[in-house]
Amino acid sequence: MSPFAAVLRKDLRLELRGGNSTLSLVALSLMVMAVMVFTQAEAKSHDAESAAAAIWIAMVFSGVIGATRVLTAERENGCIRGLLLCPIDPAGLYAAKLCAAFIFMAIAEAAAMLMMVLFFNLDFGVPLLRTAPILMLGALGFAAAATLLAAISSRTRAGDMILPILAVPIYVPALIAGVRATAAALGGAPMGAIAQWLKIMVAFDILLVTAGCLLFEYAARED
Amino acid sequence: MNRNIRTIVAAATFILMIAALFMVFDYAPTEADQGIVQRIFYFHVPCAWVAFASFGIAALSGILYLWLGDRIWDDLEYAAAETGMVFCTLVLVTGSLWAKPIWGTWWTWDSRLTTTFILWLMYGGYMMMRASADDTAQTARFGAVIAIVAAADVPVVIASVRLWRTIHPAVIVTKEGGHGLEDPRMVAALLVSLAAFTALYGWLLMLRFAQLRARTRLGALAREIALAYAAAGDD
Amino acid sequence: MSAPVVETHKLSMLYGQSPVLREIDFKLLPGYGAFVIGGNGAGKSTLLRILAGMAAPTAGGALIFGRDTRRMSARYRRRIGMMAHQSFLYPNLTARENLEFYAALYGLPEPRVSAETWLDKVGMAQFADARVRAVSRGMEQRLSAARALIADPLLVLLDEPFASLDSDGAAIMARLIREALDRGASVVAAMHGVPAIAGTDFQVFELARGHLGPFTPKEEETTAWTGARIRSLLHR
Repeated sequence: MSPFAAVLRKDLRLELRGGNSTLSLVALSLMVMAVMVFTQAEAKSHDAESAAAAIWIAMVFSGVIGATRVLTAERENGCIRGLLLCPIDPAGLYAAKLCAAFIFMAIAEAAAMLMMVLFFNLDFGVPLLRTAPILMLGALGFAAAATLLAAISSRTRAGDMILPILAVPIYVPALIAGVRATAAALGGAPMGAIAQWLKIMVAFDILLVTAGCLLFEYAARED
Repeated sequence: MNRNIRTIVAAATFILMIAALFMVFDYAPTEADQGIVQRIFYFHVPCAWVAFASFGIAALSGILYLWLGDRIWDDLEYAAAETGMVFCTLVLVTGSLWAKPIWGTWWTWDSRLTTTFILWLMYGGYMMMRASADDTAQTARFGAVIAIVAAADVPVVIASVRLWRTIHPAVIVTKEGGHGLEDPRMVAALLVSLAAFTALYGWLLMLRFAQLRARTRLGALAREIALAYAAAGDD
Repeated sequence: MSAPVVETHKLSMLYGQSPVLREIDFKLLPGYGAFVIGGNGAGKSTLLRILAGMAAPTAGGALIFGRDTRRMSARYRRRIGMMAHQSFLYPNLTARENLEFYAALYGLPEPRVSAETWLDKVGMAQFADARVRAVSRGMEQRLSAARALIADPLLVLLDEPFASLDSDGAAIMARLIREALDRGASVVAAMHGVPAIAGTDFQVFELARGHLGPFTPKEEETTAWTGARIRSLLHR
């Protein structure tokens, strides 16, 4: 079994065994969506634009928590030190952590999509299906950025407070593209019409995953 | 950093800045459409150039630090990030001051404004990280990682913001090419101002860099003394 | 004569301005063991952390298998087994799962078999499926030793190996150290106040006020129960 698979399997096993990260993410997404509904004027609360805004705000919040949780799991008993002592490539470790964060976020996003349909009075159908790949691309990008930056933020005195301040500005391009693409897709636009947004998201994801693989070693090393 | 070079740059800054002020407020003619407000542009553009160049220097220094591991690159990176932040703030402030009378609003999500603002936020995060971590090799690595990721992100930011602004219904109709410099005296004023701000930036960067170098050397010296005492067996 | 496994040259470490290690010159050959004795805060853990590549010294350097600890590739990290003060074990995984996980990360061909073998070796077979969170500190310590030794490292670094172990645990630990030496590995063990004197393949050092020097046992310490007990255990 490759180190990547071993670490990922371990993280998923810990999650199933009461890590409760996914549950927290789903609950947080629910709260954010509810807040969005309550803070919107009645007339505006049932359209694609508001729904897209709500689900992406939920994405950002749950992503911050998700990445933090994935790395705090390693802090007990100094496990991260044990991992760094192992003869494994830090890039593999990063990839595994990124995948775990992505899986937790993806589940939360799926739940958030359901809430979005209910809260914003949308229909189940092709437009909703089209938002799924957009949200997954967004979750992957956020997980990539946040996993790298959480390795930094967890070692500062400000602690995890600083993670959103570091991660959100970096994430802005994917956020802009994601919200626009989601709103367009929910509004019934075909895949072709949102292709340019998807391109930006794919570019962002590739860039951040690459940067993470190359730089994680420097962020995680201890000396 | 050589003290003499710094003195020369300081003198050049002083002379160029006086010249720039004269050219901006007296030599260059008042722009026909925008009036006197347009003159802020001679400060705004140089600040923007200097801020972007500075963030570029920070990212390059970050790469060199991770590659070579010499603290000198970290000191340069931190100095460039901080100085860049000062000028980036000035870009946003002067831009707002100009936008209010011309566009009728303090702020608009124009693609350039937005990109600058996002950069400002990124380096704001960088500063917060620096402020909340000890001055160690680890913090230096963190700074380098953030500076590199921020720089790598800039092309995607620009692409996304451009697309966003062209598709999003424009709230304010901006006059594209509103900065048209029809008079050669305007061009001259801008060039002198660019030179003046570049010199000012160079001077500030050198000052901050020298200060950070001194801090790093002081730390190394303190360690050496403590090590010498340690070797001698004293506490 | 074979090349030393551990070689430090004027190794010094400061925390802030206060010295923890002062110009330590230390050499260890393959198949030899070294006990580093010192009180709390003497810098034993720091020394081990530097040797494991987990911390960078302030001045001087340490070579492990001829490689600078600050630039150790995976190939060299593979040969080091570190049992630190922290156990590096996941509280919510079982004993078996923890060992299997680390066996996989060390690239062992049969993680399952290795885990089984080592659970037996440290006498934890009947607690194999208990979560680490639920086992006692002493058992966690045994598992931590198994974790460190599972890939048959050539350099074994042990921080307080006998702490919180009962007499059975201490016997197991002593046997593991003996086995490691017998298969040609080198062992550095940090301990406080326990003068564990053993055979000729052991060197005993004292780390005091940052200096590493030969250990001179004090009368009251050698008569301590644990000291005598461990001494006898290590004497085969």
